[in-house]
Amino acid sequence: MEPLLMQADQLPQWTALAPALALGLTGLLLILIDSVDPDSSRPALLAGIATVGSLASLGLAGWFLSAGTGQAGTGGGISLFGDALVVDGMALFFQALFASVTALVVVASYDYLHDHPHRAEFYSLVLFAATGMALMAAANSLAVAFIALELASLPSYALVAFLKRDAGSVEAGLKYFLIGALSSSVFAFGISLVYAATGSLLLPDVYAALSGGVEGLTGVAAVGILMVAGGFAFKTASVPFHFWAPEAYEGAPAPVSAFLSSASKAAGFALAFRVFVVGFPLDAGIDWVLLFQVLAVVTMTLGNFAAATQEEVKRMLAYSSIGHAGYALIGLAAFSGGAGGDVLGASMAHLLVYGFMNTGAFLFVALAEHWGVGRTFDDYAGLASRAPMASVAMSVFMFSLAGLPPFGGFFSKYFLFMGAIDAGFWWLAAVGAINSALSLFYYSRVVKALWLNDAVGEFELGSTPTALYAAIVFAAVATVLLLPGFAPVIETAQSVATTIVP
Amino acid sequence: MVPPQYYLLLAAAVFCIGVFGLLTRRNALLFLMSVELMLNAANINLVAFSYYWGNVTGQTFGLFTMALAAAEVAIGIGIILVLYRNFHEIDVTEATTMRW
Repeated sequence: MEPLLMQADQLPQWTALAPALALGLTGLLLILIDSVDPDSSRPALLAGIATVGSLASLGLAGWFLSAGTGQAGTGGGISLFGDALVVDGMALFFQALFASVTALVVVASYDYLHDHPHRAEFYSLVLFAATGMALMAAANSLAVAFIALELASLPSYALVAFLKRDAGSVEAGLKYFLIGALSSSVFAFGISLVYAATGSLLLPDVYAALSGGVEGLTGVAAVGILMVAGGFAFKTASVPFHFWAPEAYEGAPAPVSAFLSSASKAAGFALAFRVFVVGFPLDAGIDWVLLFQVLAVVTMTLGNFAAATQEEVKRMLAYSSIGHAGYALIGLAAFSGGAGGDVLGASMAHLLVYGFMNTGAFLFVALAEHWGVGRTFDDYAGLASRAPMASVAMSVFMFSLAGLPPFGGFFSKYFLFMGAIDAGFWWLAAVGAINSALSLFYYSRVVKALWLNDAVGEFELGSTPTALYAAIVFAAVATVLLLPGFAPVIETAQSVATTIVP
Repeated sequence: MVPPQYYLLLAAAVFCIGVFGLLTRRNALLFLMSVELMLNAANINLVAFSYYWGNVTGQTFGLFTMALAAAEVAIGIGIILVLYRNFHEIDVTEATTMRW
């Protein structure tokens, strides 16, 4: 292993983008196969290629991370294309996360789309969106930030509306698109104002110009930063651009909901972390830390209270994902310059754990949709006696999302709240802890329905979808393994986060 | 040379017209046009300040913005088409099978 690890820093510089390239090329390959053989009767081939592509991306990101590519030990981040892209530890950390979620979603979709005619399009859209997310994590310029954000968003709109004869899916796609188009134009206008004030789009140059003071244009820069924050609020489903999330997640095909609420949200945070920490100094005419404190508190409270009142499991998960966006925002809300790397890293680690447990939870909903058991808590009654393995996995996801001690979600929340306390924001941690306690109420409703309630009527579950089961079990295993394996995750996250703090 | 604050005012005005159209129109196609106005407001800023700062970064990014706006419209028209097939209407307030 050692000789292989050593070789990573002898490769040409552009190969640092390999995790993103692997995703993009696999997407293109799928389109090519579809155009040669449009009525393919071999769905396993398409799913297999998509899975291999995303696993290759995961492997490359993992290899680079362990070999130290772009990290402090080997000379710092690798800048490409005139500094517009930078591959450092943080980019690779998030690329590994996106590739894992993509692999889970692709595997699970194999059964979910069992008689759908346009599988190749589905897989290539998922991979193109993942490519956009991988580039979002590496963006070092506001121009790349906008383009990568659109590359991730445009396929997502099509994916949400993918079931084109299903009114719910189309309605969800329309609402997601409308809010997305609005927020991306707000984002673009914000970028144009930041450019107006600083004369550059490269984040380090923007930082230098803003900390040097922009005479007469401070207000313009402040409004620009506010509008850029609005663009991120959409991508991460935070207040005030959160209201698309319940509709889009409920109407979309469940694997797509899993993809959007885990990978897409993490991508929004990856970009927000880098843009705000690297690009906007704390005194740039607007106190953006205060802005994120307000957003974090409002987002987590609103998400958790709304989740507690839902009757449908998928909609509850959608609101809970808004709540988790609030927790992850603590990474920016408790940021305080030099020592802010720790809480930022804790937020990244939380997003990684969340990626597995939340994807798993939505994939269980996909399984329930595949069986046609219904959408409400009551419909899930007694499922444990028919599908014990999947129900155990779902219980793991629920308890981990709530942050109970024996699961991965506990450690990530613990480090996040401790990081906030260390940074002097004990009240942020207190609000987070109260919200976590509240969340246990609605997560345990699912577990209670699965295990304790008796089924209302008699019905048979049809086939056992192997691939969907495999994805759910793998996500559950990852959620449990992140308990003993959390130490390296948090160490990596905090060390790579510290290096981006200027 | 026209002072830069006039460009900022023009861009802000175009942006606000876009926001106004977005909030008042119920036709999905008019919604798309409003979004185009907002994106082009950003382009006005980018091009004007590209000249002000003496670099071409803003102009280049303006080209990218136009291409992305076109791509966004392409996806949007596709979604509006399936919306029409499912609801026989392109009024954005008609599609309410789920609670908003």
